[in-house]
Amino acid sequence: MGNLLDISSLFLQQLVNGITLGGVYALIAVGYTMVYGVIQLINFAHGEIYMLGAFLAYTQVTVLRLPFFIAFLTTLLICALIGVVLDYVAYRPLRTAPRLAALITAIGMSIFLQNLALLIWGSQIKSYPREVLPKIFYQPALSAGDVSLTWLQIFILSVTVISMLILHLIIHKTKVGMAMRAISQDKVTSSLMGIGVNRVISFTFAIGSAMGGMAGILVGLYYNAIFPTMGYIAGVKAFAAAVLGGIGSVPGAMLGGGVLGIAEVMGAGYLSSSYRDGISYAVMILVIIFKPSGLIGQVTGEKV
Amino acid sequence: MSKISPRWKLTGLLILALLLPWLPLGTSTSYFLRVITTAILYMILALGLNIVAGFTGLLDLGYVGFYGIGAYTAGLLTIHFDLSFWVILPMAALNGALWGILLGAPTLRLTGDYFAIVTFGFSELVVLVLRNELWLTRGPMGLPGISPPIVFGHPLKLAWEFYYLVVLLLMIVLLVVTRLEESRLGRAWFAIREDETAAQCCGINLIRYKIIAFAISASIGAMGGAFFARWFKFIHPDMFKFWESILILCLIVFGGMGSIAGTMLGALILIPLSEILRAILPQGMFTARYLIYGLILVLMMRWRPAGLVPFDRAQESKAARTRERLATSGGKE
Repeated sequence: MGNLLDISSLFLQQLVNGITLGGVYALIAVGYTMVYGVIQLINFAHGEIYMLGAFLAYTQVTVLRLPFFIAFLTTLLICALIGVVLDYVAYRPLRTAPRLAALITAIGMSIFLQNLALLIWGSQIKSYPREVLPKIFYQPALSAGDVSLTWLQIFILSVTVISMLILHLIIHKTKVGMAMRAISQDKVTSSLMGIGVNRVISFTFAIGSAMGGMAGILVGLYYNAIFPTMGYIAGVKAFAAAVLGGIGSVPGAMLGGGVLGIAEVMGAGYLSSSYRDGISYAVMILVIIFKPSGLIGQVTGEKV
Repeated sequence: MSKISPRWKLTGLLILALLLPWLPLGTSTSYFLRVITTAILYMILALGLNIVAGFTGLLDLGYVGFYGIGAYTAGLLTIHFDLSFWVILPMAALNGALWGILLGAPTLRLTGDYFAIVTFGFSELVVLVLRNELWLTRGPMGLPGISPPIVFGHPLKLAWEFYYLVVLLLMIVLLVVTRLEESRLGRAWFAIREDETAAQCCGINLIRYKIIAFAISASIGAMGGAFFARWFKFIHPDMFKFWESILILCLIVFGGMGSIAGTMLGALILIPLSEILRAILPQGMFTARYLIYGLILVLMMRWRPAGLVPFDRAQESKAARTRERLATSGGKE
């Protein structure tokens, strides 16, 4: 009986961890999926924006000694700006070029940003000082037996959920959201209807990048480790989440993130921890091969 | 249009290449030769990737996976069975082709960006397997002590010996690639690259030709890996990470996607550049050289998407040659 309890509490703990991780993946995945929705480009550099988010906040709290929540907000703004600049400098000139060219540019930007971070911050693993958050964040909020849910996890989950809700409202209740949906259906017709296509694309990059940067900070807090190559691993996993849910669909990205986060934590816990990253890759490959439209993606459905 | 036929140009280049080790470079000769050997190895790899990325127009981000498979095939066969390099080379190529077909058959139906990301996932999985299957690959400890190839009973040791070996391999690969380019197969690939739908309408079996391209490309990558293993004598999973794929892609993009001469030129310029950066950059910052490769990808796509030696020119000269041939043969061909 006790053994059974141990097993189920381990399972519950893994589930809690998996959902937290999944929430973060979902935050990154919406950035991929929104950009893909409007310009059909896999923005490889999105993972680097997530990494930059973690480092920018780190610099602000350690070097500039700003309070965490101010650093959090400025990081979101800077990341949004980086996203817009990225689009403006790298992708916009290639809008009419073959898709391969844009994809190669995206990979190039990703490598460039990652190594820029390596030059600026060095390759050593950094962590946020524990004082940046009130102590209470590291204490369990709920605990039953061996299962515990820390305030930090609750914080991460609630930030994720709130930003998803805001995103949902933006896409469905505002004019710019309607423009985004229109562009994802047909760019040319949208421009004929008086939508400033490039402005809306910039806005999409801004929102997606801000959420990516936010995810970077949250992961930095959660795992207490940030390093220049964190972006490419997480980026691929988030992309896998976006594909899993159905690329171009925001609810799909959330679902995909959740499923992938849980699958990864469970796989690491029960199958093999050394293949932890492999689980995401395998899921991604299998989904792309067998069900490229994803779990809830539709071929002609709503995309943004 | 130059009057010298490409055959003579090639012969001239070959003579130059063979004389290279004997140029008076003093004490740095063996270092210089190592750098050039690396550059030629990357030429071979780039020529292999070029078949998929340049000829067929598919973005393969997992090419280094085949390179790694070839290297470990060669390394393991050498250590456990002590086979000759000349037996291992075709075996590595076959193993590469096998994995190319296994990966390609289900994935080549996908559109460009999905294909790119699946190949990326594949190469990451290869690295994970190399890293974690300790019983086979010794994982992060790497495979040390791979014996060098034996030629006429003489184990290769000196830099120029390996240099000649890699030049020989390059010649073989170059022969295969140039023949392919002008063959029916090559024309089918170009047709697919230019317009899949039109190619299909002309009776080209898309999947079949793509798989052939993928398998040949993978086997060239694996051959490169086999040479690398027996030359470097030590292989490690981290040598076959994603960045290598990007580096090889960068060589092609820089030189000119689809252009054989461009691909080789790209390797000849960028690989020695990386050696120069190794000297300039501080210890531990060597990986930051990829910053430049990333920048090259972006800048080339923006301002010179066809590369240094655009492929079109090759196409034109070929067309001109065909016209010439038709004219001299009285249009019988």
